Amino acid sequence: MNPGSRIRMKDKRNLVLASIAGAAILLGGCGKSSVDTAQAAAPADTSAKPANAFPGLDADMQRTFKEESSFYKFKTAADFVADTKGLNWEDGAGLPSFADPAAKKGGTLTIPIPDFPGTLRSIGPNSNASFREFLADYTLPALVRFNPNAPGKIEPELAVAWAVDRPSKTVYFKLDPDAKWSDGIPFTSDDVLFNWYLFRSPLLNDPWLNDYYHKTFAAFTIYDAHTFSVTLTEVRPDIVARIGDPDAAMPLYPKHFFKDFGPDWAQKYDWRIMPTTGAYTIKEEDIRRTTSITLSHVKDWWAENKPWAKGRFNPDKIRLSVIRDPDKTIEAFFHGDLDVFPSNSLSSQVWYTKFPDSQPTIASGFTVKTTFYNQLPPPDWGLWINTAKPPLDNLDVRLGVEFATNFALVCQQYFRGDAVLQQTDDDGYGWDVNPNVRPRPFDPAKARAYFAKAGFTQQGSDGVLANAKGERLSFTITTTYKRYLDILIILKQEALKAGLEFNIEALDETTGFQKELEKKHDISFGCFNRPADMYPRFWETDSGDNAYDVPYLPDHSPNPARKLKTSTNNLYSLADYDLDQIIKAYDKTETMDEVKVLAAKAEQRFFDDAVWVNGWKLPFFRSAYRPWVKWPKDFCAMQARDTFQHWGMWIDEDEKKADLALLDEGKTLPRQILIYDKFKQP
Amino acid sequence: MRLSPQARSQLRRFRSLKRGYGSFLILAVLSVVALLAEIFVGNRPLLVKYNGHLFIPTYGSIHPGTDFGRDYAYETDYRALKVSFAKEGKGNWIIMPPVPYGPNENCYPGEAFNPRPPDASARHYLGTDQINRDILARLLYGLRNSLIFSVGFVCLVYLIGVTIGCAMGYFGGWFDLGMQRFIEIWSLIPFLLVVIIFRAALPQGTSFGLGLLLFVVVMFAWTGMTYYMRSATYREKSRDYVAAAQVLGAGPFRVLFHHILPNILSILVTFLPFTCSAAIGSLTALDYLGFGLPPPMPSWGELLRQGTSNLDAPWIVASAFSALSIVLILITFVGEAIREAFDPKKFTIYR
Repeated sequence: MNPGSRIRMKDKRNLVLASIAGAAILLGGCGKSSVDTAQAAAPADTSAKPANAFPGLDADMQRTFKEESSFYKFKTAADFVADTKGLNWEDGAGLPSFADPAAKKGGTLTIPIPDFPGTLRSIGPNSNASFREFLADYTLPALVRFNPNAPGKIEPELAVAWAVDRPSKTVYFKLDPDAKWSDGIPFTSDDVLFNWYLFRSPLLNDPWLNDYYHKTFAAFTIYDAHTFSVTLTEVRPDIVARIGDPDAAMPLYPKHFFKDFGPDWAQKYDWRIMPTTGAYTIKEEDIRRTTSITLSHVKDWWAENKPWAKGRFNPDKIRLSVIRDPDKTIEAFFHGDLDVFPSNSLSSQVWYTKFPDSQPTIASGFTVKTTFYNQLPPPDWGLWINTAKPPLDNLDVRLGVEFATNFALVCQQYFRGDAVLQQTDDDGYGWDVNPNVRPRPFDPAKARAYFAKAGFTQQGSDGVLANAKGERLSFTITTTYKRYLDILIILKQEALKAGLEFNIEALDETTGFQKELEKKHDISFGCFNRPADMYPRFWETDSGDNAYDVPYLPDHSPNPARKLKTSTNNLYSLADYDLDQIIKAYDKTETMDEVKVLAAKAEQRFFDDAVWVNGWKLPFFRSAYRPWVKWPKDFCAMQARDTFQHWGMWIDEDEKKADLALLDEGKTLPRQILIYDKFKQP
Repeated sequence: MRLSPQARSQLRRFRSLKRGYGSFLILAVLSVVALLAEIFVGNRPLLVKYNGHLFIPTYGSIHPGTDFGRDYAYETDYRALKVSFAKEGKGNWIIMPPVPYGPNENCYPGEAFNPRPPDASARHYLGTDQINRDILARLLYGLRNSLIFSVGFVCLVYLIGVTIGCAMGYFGGWFDLGMQRFIEIWSLIPFLLVVIIFRAALPQGTSFGLGLLLFVVVMFAWTGMTYYMRSATYREKSRDYVAAAQVLGAGPFRVLFHHILPNILSILVTFLPFTCSAAIGSLTALDYLGFGLPPPMPSWGELLRQGTSNLDAPWIVASAFSALSIVLILITFVGEAIREAFDPKKFTIYR
């Protein structure tokens, strides 16, 4: 039998079957997929609200006020006079302003952003971090704010006066009667009431906010349209800021805008333009998907001449231009397409290689280079050692790792001397937290001694120490900061001198954070950004409550049956009973003196635990901009984190015309390389 | 192994094609140099004479500084040792490789991290990269990684692709139909995206080295070979010698691998160089994006990426780009020569 003919007959049958199968697949592909229908039906919210449909914002607010009547109290204006009898009212007058009252208003400022925002919301899930600075963090007023030039002193924004009643742990506020939203509707205590409801609502999908607004506050009392009070659970030195300052609390959102609030509010509100009490808003036609967003100054802004806003928020329009590639951003800036180059993109490498004094636009004065020394708590860069992973639970091993990590080299050679080591875990709060706590120097011999104490005495053929059981001294450093991989390679090379091996694991943000929050890492390389508080926070990152569910037995020794707690910032899995007691007392302090004493104790104990290897900090930030962008006398406020935080700059249109004319003629402008070191720390 | 007369004449023809044969020889030399990289480029010496003893530290365990009279316990800094020996004048000497730098070492430990231009007097023939590592060293050790990857890639892809393709052609019927549909669907999966997802979804603690990367890449690349093997096997299967072998009682796998495969070997050999260059290309692309070999393993893609973000240090991107172009061009020449050597037509007009 010829095998060829058999194949041919089989082919015919196969062809018929195949076409039937193909038709079935095609028909099956039509029509709505089951996944789509399921998604449309179920709400996006994953909170615990069961089958009851959401009754609408007003109805739900009423229900919440009734259910939590011990928290939400409703009184009258007469009650206000009675309750605030004899209290001392403060209005934050006479505080220094960093802005220049003679600033010129108008013009368009063009700034690059690395990506088009995924949403216009500044609250709720995935509210874009880099864009929300412009729409909320830096421009949306809060009740009060820490004066960035006089740390600890509070200045008014939406609230014009406040009074503290320590015995009842209550702060009374009077709102500015001029305050109104950009659509003309006045800002009243009803809006503030709504915000407390919002931040405590599980529908917000923000567990941290829910937690903060439940733990920190005991009651909210509304008196009339411009007066209300907030009762806290504890009296701390920064009691007013805990309510009002956006670094400690939140900016405030309009009630009338959120009338569609409900279980899947986030998707509904992704692209709605929110009315604002701040200086800038967006017009629908200024949103150019994937290309740019332009913010426009609010017409007849209510706070135009208020003391805290004088000389700030000067440009008429702020155009945020999307440029994804960092190198392209630099080219666009030198070409003249951008007015200000963001300080967050001016790393030391970029500064020295791309912005040298000899760069043509800098030499011709078309670009101004500035270094500004600031004073605020730096992000706590360093190596975070997870004590839940043996042998890192052994103090000697951790001490060895501390002495085997050479961040000093990174500061000197990677940052070209720009950076210095962080002295303690809590630098930058305005006082030396503990003069006895200083970074451990790089010392391979000392590191080897500690490793030997822990049993790692045999050096293997590749230079890595091992113990008697043959376990190598090798740890994986997990990081989501791919831009700093070179630093880790440097640390890896240096650690080998002490017989310690670092394996570098660079993950993308989502996977990396997940691994770290689940405490599955050996060592994590990263940092948390720190707000300009009055005093450091210990509980979030250092407390045993944030490491384990039941960290200790009744006799204070570690509980062998304890389970790791995930999704907390305690990446060390640190559970030190003595430290926990200090932190508990620290969180109850009422005066700054008590704070300083306990902070020093906590810092010492934390240092002795050797769970954090001091990384670097930069005592300044850098900026580059066009010569017609003008700044106040001292450039920025003392506690400025970056160029755009306080909006003190303005555009001099006349100078812009003159400068451009000169450059067109081929002439050069005076070269400007500026250093502002008024706030430089010795 | 005795070659058939046909194979011998093909080999002779290959040798007569100057360009292809020359490229093949150059590549062979490069491969040998890359595999023995430590002898030519490295921070470990070839020979050390210390206190009357001879050491060969090039391969094997590290020698801590204490072995040579220094006071530190980590690996000896041999370049500094050479200088010290010369100064001490006790009759100790060191022979370093021609380029005395390793691929992972910081060549300027006291100074800023800066790319430096090529400097023949300091033996940095291609300069240094942005964290002070010698570029020639990274190129050579990167070539070694690429070669290992591409040899592994070719072996695995051929093993899987040839087996499945030949089986499809030989057995036909439902198996062939089913596998064809599966291969069509499988080859539509976007390979790069899957590698990225794989990287992200791996269980925590798995280190993503050369082996795992190879596995993931091969998983999506084996389908290419199956088409050719299937059609070639179908063609051969209808010939008489296959029927003869079957009648003699040979099982399917003996017929496939002992009878059919040697006759379709020319297809494999022709595709070999192009599969190699595909492997090197994939590895470089993945490394460029950051999803390939973990740092600090040397690789050409990583060097390219450094080069494109440091265009004011053009020697970085120039070295990586030239090396990549030269190797891929050489491979292409070899491939062309092989194709021509296996072409049954020797002349284009009848003589």
